[in-house]
Amino acid sequence: MEPDVSIETSCMIRIAVLPIGDVPSTLLRDYHSMLLRHCTIPLSTISSFYTEHQKSPFAHQPWETGSLRFKFVLGGAPPSPWEDFQPHRKILGVIGICHCPSSPDLDLVIDQFNAAWRGCSSVLVQRCFAFSPGDSQLEDTKKRENLVLFPPSDRPAQELHLQTMMQDISASLLMEFEKWVLQAESAGTILKTPLDSQATLSSEEVIKAKKRRLARAQKTIGDYCLLAGSPVDANAHYSTALELARLTADYFWYAGALEGSVCALLVDRMGQKDIAIEDEVRYRYNSVIVHYRKSFIQENAQRVSPLTFELEATLKLARFLCRRELAKEVAELLTSAADGAKSLIDASDKLILFVEIARLFGTLGYQRKAAFFSRQVAQLYLQQENRFAAISAMQVLAMTTKAYRVQSRTSISKQSLSDETETGHVDSGKMHHQSVVSLFESQWSTLQMVVLREILLSAVRAGDPLAAWSAAARLLRSYYPLITPAGQNGLARALTNSAERLPSGTRCADPALPFIRLYSFPLHPSQMDIVKRNPAREDWWAGSAPSGPFIYTPFSKGESNDNSKQELIWIVGEPVQVFVELANPCGFDLSVDSIYLSVQSGNFDAFPLSVDLPPNSSQVITLSGIPTSIGPVVIRGCTVHCFGVITEHRFKDVDNLLLGAAQGLVLSDPFRCCGSPRLRSVSVPSISVIPPLPLLVSHVVGGDGAIILYEGEIRDVWINLANAGTVPIEQVHISLSGKNQDSVISIAYENLKSALPLKPGAEVTIPVTLKGWRLFLGESDTAAGKNAFGSMGRTLKDGSSPSLLIHYAGPLGDAQDIETNKSSVPPGRRLIVPLQICVLQGLSFVKARLLSMEIPAHVGESPSSLANMDSKPFGEAVGYSKIDRLVKIDPFRGSWGLRFLELELSNPTDVVFDISVSVQLEKSGNEDNLSVDCAAEYGYPKTRIDRDHFARVLIPLEHFKLPFLDGSIFSKDLQSDGSTAGRNSNFSERNTKAELNASIKNLISRIKVQWQSGRNSSGELNCKDAIQAALQSSVMDVLLPDPLTFGFRLARNGSENAAKLDLPKESDTSIHHIASKNSVIAHEMTPFEVLVRNNTKETIKMNLSVTCRDVAGANSIEGAKATVIWAGVLSGITMEVPPLEETKHGFSLYFLVPGEYTLVAAAVIDDANDVLRARAKSESSDEPIFCRGPPFHVHVNGTA
Amino acid sequence: MTTAACFIIASRSDIPIYEAEVGSAAKREDAAQLPQFILQAALDIVQDLAWTTSAMILKTIDKFNDLVVSVYVTDDHILNIDDGIKSFFQEVHELYIKSLLNPLYLPGSRITSSHFDTKVGALARNFFCSRTQYRA
Repeated sequence: MEPDVSIETSCMIRIAVLPIGDVPSTLLRDYHSMLLRHCTIPLSTISSFYTEHQKSPFAHQPWETGSLRFKFVLGGAPPSPWEDFQPHRKILGVIGICHCPSSPDLDLVIDQFNAAWRGCSSVLVQRCFAFSPGDSQLEDTKKRENLVLFPPSDRPAQELHLQTMMQDISASLLMEFEKWVLQAESAGTILKTPLDSQATLSSEEVIKAKKRRLARAQKTIGDYCLLAGSPVDANAHYSTALELARLTADYFWYAGALEGSVCALLVDRMGQKDIAIEDEVRYRYNSVIVHYRKSFIQENAQRVSPLTFELEATLKLARFLCRRELAKEVAELLTSAADGAKSLIDASDKLILFVEIARLFGTLGYQRKAAFFSRQVAQLYLQQENRFAAISAMQVLAMTTKAYRVQSRTSISKQSLSDETETGHVDSGKMHHQSVVSLFESQWSTLQMVVLREILLSAVRAGDPLAAWSAAARLLRSYYPLITPAGQNGLARALTNSAERLPSGTRCADPALPFIRLYSFPLHPSQMDIVKRNPAREDWWAGSAPSGPFIYTPFSKGESNDNSKQELIWIVGEPVQVFVELANPCGFDLSVDSIYLSVQSGNFDAFPLSVDLPPNSSQVITLSGIPTSIGPVVIRGCTVHCFGVITEHRFKDVDNLLLGAAQGLVLSDPFRCCGSPRLRSVSVPSISVIPPLPLLVSHVVGGDGAIILYEGEIRDVWINLANAGTVPIEQVHISLSGKNQDSVISIAYENLKSALPLKPGAEVTIPVTLKGWRLFLGESDTAAGKNAFGSMGRTLKDGSSPSLLIHYAGPLGDAQDIETNKSSVPPGRRLIVPLQICVLQGLSFVKARLLSMEIPAHVGESPSSLANMDSKPFGEAVGYSKIDRLVKIDPFRGSWGLRFLELELSNPTDVVFDISVSVQLEKSGNEDNLSVDCAAEYGYPKTRIDRDHFARVLIPLEHFKLPFLDGSIFSKDLQSDGSTAGRNSNFSERNTKAELNASIKNLISRIKVQWQSGRNSSGELNCKDAIQAALQSSVMDVLLPDPLTFGFRLARNGSENAAKLDLPKESDTSIHHIASKNSVIAHEMTPFEVLVRNNTKETIKMNLSVTCRDVAGANSIEGAKATVIWAGVLSGITMEVPPLEETKHGFSLYFLVPGEYTLVAAAVIDDANDVLRARAKSESSDEPIFCRGPPFHVHVNGTA
Repeated sequence: MTTAACFIIASRSDIPIYEAEVGSAAKREDAAQLPQFILQAALDIVQDLAWTTSAMILKTIDKFNDLVVSVYVTDDHILNIDDGIKSFFQEVHELYIKSLLNPLYLPGSRITSSHFDTKVGALARNFFCSRTQYRA
């Protein structure tokens, strides 16, 4: 069988094109293609070359309209045994093609040419075309037969030359045909086919052959007429031949003549096709097929069969009818032709048959049928087991891939790919079911796998590693669920083996493994937020939602409705990250040599990464890179170097695959089978790159870990801010956000301000003062129950820490720019510095109590000043012992009515706390001490509280007493006590109440309970409320002095002392009598003085009396057992003390018995005013107001 | 000769939604998928033919070597391709409609129900066991 047959084949003159000498293959192809333009030479053009030697047998030659047709066979063909039957199978002409530069010796060329064509007996005309001859060759004027030199010239000239040569050849052939026909008509030639028995002819057969000779001759003459381009002559001869052949029952030749007549018919009609001709052709060809079938002779069926002619005739008819409308008929013809393949003996005939069938089905539009037969062809090639056959098989299979939907990406046109990406970009998430289905149309996995396997096999055999790699990659990627682990391993090996034969860095359009999908595009971390800048406003960051972390905020309403489309801003030079998920659903270890983002726009430097994926696993990895220039960034997928080849994996493909899997159209979702969660549709946001911005980075000096604070702890934290960008920072603003904002006491904002502009690389440290907030009750309860770390974790998780928001921006840019285009203002940024404060429960306050303590004073020579109770301990502290700050109680004054605030504290933590109480003292009210007007501090030694212990801290409240008793202060008390006088409350009273409250507050605020733990934890205990509660009831006692203060002293140097009560003088005198200072000796008259001080602003009249008691408490002055004799007045002393002054009264005592005695002064106030009454809390106005002084101790020495 | 048939239900978009090999074929490794290839190729013819005829059963529309293709086209143009006995096709069509009524079944996706599989297998045994021809 011959390839590419059609009805018109019968009228084509076969010419062999032979390369002579060494012709480069590209040039040979070029020359051949030049020849191919001259397949048809009109008869009208060859008349000048034609000379009629004798009368032409072609009487009806259409010189005006007819033409000769040629079929150029490159390289020639072996002679066919059937050439007598069909002369168009004969090589009738030979054209040698010689490339002169590579074959300098023209004689040798001629020799080679002659040798080449002489092997072929049927050749009638022969020419050797020598292209591009050199000058010497042109000058070589020696006449050589059949050699035509093509002078070097441009292409059109050469083509013209070639056309002329072809016309010359045509004319020569025509003349040869005429010669042949004339010869054949006169002398009968015996025409035989292999079908005729070759063995000795029996006599009967000889007679038969003689009869048939004429028909065969007529048929052959017809054939030559056809070749000579004279269909009418041909038809005449064919008619005769048909008649004769029918009579002699020479079916084979009958069919041949019929075929020729159809061809003559078509040539005559010059290709015009109408229904009548079509019907005629169909009718005649069916007859041709039937007659070829009839000519089948059983006895020589093993050797030779007319089957090929029958099949060729079928194919010719099919090709003639091959139109969409006649598809059914053509399909039937082709099916029957395919059926005939079973009986074909020669494998190459089968091959040609299937090739032709496939081509015809392809023309018909039956792609699957075409693919099916192409695959049959490929299988036939593969049976041949040699490399060239394998290459052919591979190429044929490659053609079938489209029909089976297993194309390599290289074969898919770029246009369709870009279309896909365009449409897919819009809404990949909401792809309609139907369009998803269309993506996976005709996915017949069983077939696809078989085809891919065959491609792999043929590529391996053909030695095409890239094709093998591509096929194995497609097979593995698409059908891994259908392949056993062993098979998967085999494919992996095939990939590796193929890659070994490829040069390193080879790219392949078909990705293999792993599957890669977009996991997420991280928005800017809060440290790098970009904030749109409004240059018109001072607070430029306001009113623009930051780029993250919230995609939707209710306040950004109306700004942009297009929330579905994410937009991302990247900055030149700042590394960015993209998370992708890789899946290896196969049963082998996959090692990805490198993977990086594949960016179409080319303004991105991607950093490669290498990953190892265990079998059946998926992994999320971070791919990073740096945008290099301004503009949009388009990320299509990842570039992967795996199995030795570089491939591009597009996100889009995997998205479609996953979508298909979700619809049940694809076998399996590679991510789900690796245990990864369900499909999340992540679309690639539109990313734009903007010019560099400043970048502020922060770290907390001393570590970025959580700042652990105990409740109430105050600590400075230094935050280091550095500009890591390439643009200076010119504007900056700090604000607070989050919970517990009040825990940030101060931020040294000025430090930062003064450092502006912060140049790239510059850094600044700002101190921030923090105070641990109070834990809530429930919180502290649980915290107490748990250990410290448990509570720490909890507080951190709660996110109760505040954050510093630092808005900053670089230079505004050109001022003109801003005016013209607002959007051109480079955006600012926002840095969020989360202050990771972890508040632990610290020292806790249990309760506060007010205690009173009474220590009787000793009566001595140095009396205390009764006037200002504050001055003395203060003076002592300053004068004598600055270091020893113990509470000093003047033994000569005592501390009658001294009150302590007792704070009970517990330490539930596991560290030790040191408590120090400090009291701020106010000196404002003291006229004596004008020099000291600022608040001084009075401290007490530290108290240490061990872990899990309770402790009490005493705070003496001795320094708070007001210098005098005043009605204005007092009126509050009247009211609070509910006395009758306070009933008529008015505005001024309220006012004073407020004043009093303020003074209480003042008092409380002066008490500071500070604690320290470890080296650097310190804070203040917040117990003001508790103290206030504790003080509330008895605040009067603490604050207000008694109206009268009493004191006793020895008055040995009576006159002096009486004259001057000044302290310095006292000190002087006491030095002399230091030895006998406190000694009162029995049996000796001892002078005493009782001092009375009026603490009010009005003169008080009173009735003073002094008593003396012994240890037993019995009155030792009066009574039967009196042990003291006295001189002077002891009772009923009427006295008048001017306001805020002292009056003294002298008396003497004579102690009979040594021991301890107590002196007590008491007074009944006459005509007490309201203030005094209120102070004494008297119920009725006529009740006497009684004042009692504190007891004073007298130690009497001596013997009884 | 072995008794074997390949039965395929192809969806509208030519994706096989159901495949079954009925009977036991002495398979050669390379020829194992041949019936499927033939069926897939026959779809070309079926597609043309289905619009030109109102018949649901298209008998022997294609053949390759000894394998004959018959087709039953359902009214929603889902093709059951097989050689055929009318009643076999009708029974399977009934089964197919039943599975189509399943609200969880997405038209066009694979039929994976084992129940369907066993039913088809049983039907096929009834109809083809007596045959001695290799069918597709």
